Amino acid sequence: MKSSRKGSDEELQLIQLREILLKKDRTAIREIQELIDDPEQLSPKVQPIIEEQLELLKANFPAQYEKVVNNLIEQKLKDSQEEILNVIYPVLGKMIKKFITHQFQMIKDSIDRQVRKTFSTKGFWTRVKSRFFGVDHSEIILSDADKPVIEEIYAIQRNSGLLMGIASMQETIDQDVIAGMLTAIKSFVEDAFKKEQQDLEMIEYGNYKIFIQNFPTFYIAVAMSGSMSTGEKGDLSDKIMDFAEDVLSSRQELNGDNYEYISTELKTRFINPQIVST
Amino acid sequence: MTSKKVILTGSFGVGKTSLFNQFIYNRFSEKYLTTIGVKVNKKVIEVDGSEVSILLWDIAGEVSQDKVPTSYFLGASGIIYVIDLTRPSTYKNIKSDIDYLNQIVKGGITKIVANKKDLVTVEQIEGIAQEIVLPWDIVTSAKTGENVEELFQELGKGLLAG
Repeated sequence: MKSSRKGSDEELQLIQLREILLKKDRTAIREIQELIDDPEQLSPKVQPIIEEQLELLKANFPAQYEKVVNNLIEQKLKDSQEEILNVIYPVLGKMIKKFITHQFQMIKDSIDRQVRKTFSTKGFWTRVKSRFFGVDHSEIILSDADKPVIEEIYAIQRNSGLLMGIASMQETIDQDVIAGMLTAIKSFVEDAFKKEQQDLEMIEYGNYKIFIQNFPTFYIAVAMSGSMSTGEKGDLSDKIMDFAEDVLSSRQELNGDNYEYISTELKTRFINPQIVST
Repeated sequence: MTSKKVILTGSFGVGKTSLFNQFIYNRFSEKYLTTIGVKVNKKVIEVDGSEVSILLWDIAGEVSQDKVPTSYFLGASGIIYVIDLTRPSTYKNIKSDIDYLNQIVKGGITKIVANKKDLVTVEQIEGIAQEIVLPWDIVTSAKTGENVEELFQELGKGLLAG
């Protein structure tokens, strides 16, 4: 009984001793716990450390993570080509639309300038021309904005594709081959899509157009840049008809003299000066 | 200078384009590429002191009516019909093909060319000559260039005479 009492006294003393020794630490732990639990107290203490670390990260990020990020992006691009295309397509579409709108705006600006000129003498004559020839005023203004230019004109034998004569704004190589290939393309199209007796009349590529006027034994191919109004097309067609009647009808045979004569006539009548104006 | 349209025709793979390239560019390629549609090129040759400009139309495979636009053949002054000495199928229809071409190209010069001489022996050539229904005009090798120049010289003479 005596020994049991003695034991419990010792235990009590130990507890008291522990309380005395750990009091300070326990108070400190409690204070820390309260600090952690209370954001208002914690924030001002942690904020400077986070900011410092962020600054450090910002400064070192490219060097430390660039390669990793690049690899990740590269892999992602490889894995998700279809998804990326789906995302890019509408963007590209918008860009193209924006470009076309811009081009239209440029045309509109050009027309505006032309319209302003209508108060000038030239504008007055344009309107007179419009009334007189029955060509739409806007068509005349548009054609002035993007004038048609005859770059090359060929007279070609219809069946053989052999060149009868040529005139060009610049030196062209392999004119015979161009005439042959043009005839081959024409033959192919006419053969492939034949429903009735019809001829290929135009080939368009980018800003260039090739107008083809067919005759029984030959055809005339005119390579042009710019835009042609309906009136100008009619005018060009009439000039080609006159040329065919005046020159080609009597010079069907292929020989050096005829080639020279036809080429000179083509140059005089179509290239110098340019004839596509009403 | 006189210009003449000449068509190169015959079955697939007989070496039309190889003859064309050998004649125009003096080159040969082992690679076989099917001609799509038609290919046109020009070469000026001198025959007995006179120059003639040959517009050569290399027409893709076959001669038959339903496969090649008839208009490709129109206006030609010369026909080069090519057969392959190693493939009997390429000269099986020679008679009907030539008849068909002569109907379209009236008055033109026709040269039948037996190509790929480098792949057969003299005995084999003699054997084929016995069995073919129409005789050829010349035996060529587009690969080595053998007789290619001669073919066009002969053709040029005929074109100038015509």
